[in-house]
Amino acid sequence: MPSRRRTLLKVIILGDSGVGKTSLMNQYVNKKFSNQYKATIGADFLTKEVQFEDRLFTLQIWDTAGQERFQSLGVAFYRGADCCVLVYDVNSMKSFENLNNWREEFLIQASPSDPENFPFVVLGNKIDVDGGNSRVVSEKKARAWCASKGNIPYFETSAKEGTNVEEAFQCIAKNALKSGEEEEIYLPDTIDVAASSQQRTGGCEC
Amino acid sequence: MHEIDVHDLSDDADYAASVQQGSASMNRSNSSKQGSSGEQEGAEIVYVKDNVAIHPTQYASERISGRLKLIKQGGSLFMTWIPYKGQSSSARLSEKDKSLYTIRAVPFSDVRSIRRHTPTLGWQYVIVVLSSGLAFPPLYFYNGGVREFLATIKQHAYLVRSADDANVFLVNDFQDPLQRTLSSLELPRAVSVTNSPSSAAAASESPSSWTDGETFDRNSVLAQQNARQRQKHNDPARDLSIQVLEKFSLVTRFARETTSQLFGEAQGDGFITNDRRKHDGKTHDYPRIAESNDAQKLPEDVPVPADPLEFDKLSLVWGKPRQPPLGTEEWSAFLDSEGRVTDSEAVRKRIFYGGVEPDLRKEVWRFLLGYHSYDSTYAEREYLVSVKKSEYETIKNQWKSISKEQAKRFTKFRERRGLIEKDVVRTDRSTSFYEEDDSPNIKCLRDILLTYSFYNFDLGYCQGMSDLLSPILFVMGDESETFWCFVALMERLGPNFNRDQNGMHSQLFALSKLVELLDIPLHNYFEQKDCLNYFFCFRWVLIQFKREFEFEQTMRLWEVLWTHYGSEHLHLYVCVAILKRHRSKIIGEGMDFDTLLKFINELSGHIDLDAILRDAEALCICAGENGESCIPPGTPPSLPVDDASMYYQQDDDDVL
Repeated sequence: MPSRRRTLLKVIILGDSGVGKTSLMNQYVNKKFSNQYKATIGADFLTKEVQFEDRLFTLQIWDTAGQERFQSLGVAFYRGADCCVLVYDVNSMKSFENLNNWREEFLIQASPSDPENFPFVVLGNKIDVDGGNSRVVSEKKARAWCASKGNIPYFETSAKEGTNVEEAFQCIAKNALKSGEEEEIYLPDTIDVAASSQQRTGGCEC
Repeated sequence: MHEIDVHDLSDDADYAASVQQGSASMNRSNSSKQGSSGEQEGAEIVYVKDNVAIHPTQYASERISGRLKLIKQGGSLFMTWIPYKGQSSSARLSEKDKSLYTIRAVPFSDVRSIRRHTPTLGWQYVIVVLSSGLAFPPLYFYNGGVREFLATIKQHAYLVRSADDANVFLVNDFQDPLQRTLSSLELPRAVSVTNSPSSAAAASESPSSWTDGETFDRNSVLAQQNARQRQKHNDPARDLSIQVLEKFSLVTRFARETTSQLFGEAQGDGFITNDRRKHDGKTHDYPRIAESNDAQKLPEDVPVPADPLEFDKLSLVWGKPRQPPLGTEEWSAFLDSEGRVTDSEAVRKRIFYGGVEPDLRKEVWRFLLGYHSYDSTYAEREYLVSVKKSEYETIKNQWKSISKEQAKRFTKFRERRGLIEKDVVRTDRSTSFYEEDDSPNIKCLRDILLTYSFYNFDLGYCQGMSDLLSPILFVMGDESETFWCFVALMERLGPNFNRDQNGMHSQLFALSKLVELLDIPLHNYFEQKDCLNYFFCFRWVLIQFKREFEFEQTMRLWEVLWTHYGSEHLHLYVCVAILKRHRSKIIGEGMDFDTLLKFINELSGHIDLDAILRDAEALCICAGENGESCIPPGTPPSLPVDDASMYYQQDDDDVL
């Protein structure tokens, strides 16, 4: 029962200042990493074409300012989102603890039609730092939180080294597409992009 | 809008009450009392108000006070505003300057509308717009009396409240019965649409208190004497002022007509419609091309674009060419022997048009930012610097002395420090000044921001501040000096970072109003695309275009903005200028909010600063007082409204 064709998938990346939102986005879209990204002011987005079987979709990835003082701007940027990516820094407990705030704030401001089932994906970034020695949030702890929030898919990433970034965004894209499912569309079950590479630490249930 | 009071007409019960109370300070006479003294000239003064001022600039010292009068002669009502002689608080304002602003006997048949502004804080003022499109500068009623002013006009001329805006009053002499019919139809809230506009008919509507116990006082006598003088002397300055004002009027009208052609949409204020009907006597054919009469009046050097989208060229014609930056030698000529800047306006004007040579910035920025006052001497500044240096050290020590153990129990401090440390290492790292990983300049940024977050603990640190600080440190070098210059800048821009974002919202709101004024089709386009929040300009406004230009260019732009020459809000005109430069692309490609944001973000590094500054200046002149009235008082970078003194002035209203 294929119906209207959906071409744009909107994804919002949220998380504390400096956890690597801009870097993750650039690593995924441009395959580049820089130490010198400036703090994001306001918002920006990058787009990437993704393919599911024979269909092309535009993934629109929104990068926002991380300071909570700018959250009131969210209303303008979050609307129409298909998936929300929550990022924290595995070397910062505070950034992990704030995931809950970011999630709730998003649900308030974006007010999706079905908040219970709105797709989130959590990324624990900067696993490369200091060979993992400065890590303060364990994978177990993070997964427990994700499980408690309705089995949010979880990935551990390094934007700097590109670890798991592709896998994470595949899952993100798939979830974004799925979230539009109720609205209308026919979609295939599998993602064609780099289908052979399985995520290493991924927990994408989709 | 800040209006707190929507009553002001004579048919208003509230108004009647206020007259009864005698709370107003109006000096007024009615026709029976005035008759004899007015007969000599056939002119009758029906309203006199002292201490009505115009503010040519934002500086209190440059305000011009004068006397506002309504004069009736031969069945027509005239308005005059004559500045007081020899009372100027500023030596810089010559009598010639004052003459330029003098309003000499404007007949109300030439007046299109009066817009009333009643700020919650500050003085009430009115803006009188002529049917030519010219607006006189706002007239500030220091002693109150706006309500009486309007009531008096209503008594002697045809005045109705606009259906679209309760603070706009449409004036019309209604010689054309067709117009009268049309206007009464268009203005459902208009009161007492009479068939006769005569003063007799108008007077019958006024409350009985109108004729009660008003005495003809000394001021009115003086006013009459002035009126006689006015008629005896043919002041050569009059021609000059008309010339200048007409130039503005042409620009404004030109802009309006050009923009309203596009899409065939009329502005929603109802004026245009009336205007056009008046000019061509037709009611059915708008939207239409600009009147050919008007086109003929345009100076030859202004092209009349066939395509309204070429409106941009107007600004290229009007914006003045940029000058070379202010150099050391020229700067020293502005200083007297003790180091005072003798003519700060001339300095600001000079910098507005040319900026400052890099080597001189260290000295000049302190004045522009307000850290040093222009009238300070070398010695005073030297002293201030030393005092401020130790004050800085004191504040810095407040956080320096926090031990590790203390910090463990001081979450707020750790969070701030963490946020600052994250941001300083990603601020302008491509500039050689901040390039090295262990650059002492990065540490200095950190120390200053942390100190500032203690100096202004309520505001704290917010992303964007490091962008604002970085060029200042680059220029000033010295840590303490940089700190105090930053403090001065934040006095104006601090509200950008308020938690409730009110500073940003007021600027984006003003921006939307300016676009509405200067490019209504673009405004309509944004409205249609649900883009009127102007969030796509957020980064521009928050950090003063810091991310849009190269480091050196940013500094040039900032010093121009900081002169506050022409407008404190030039940055908003810069926004309008950039948007207008790209309007055809924006509209032509049908950009929605997302695409627009992306497009705006990607303009970074591709904006021609000099061209945009020229456009912005031209737009600022085009907008004139109408532009300034789009910007609510206290909108950054204006200093916060001084509550105490404003309240005091408001109180005066009732006491006098």
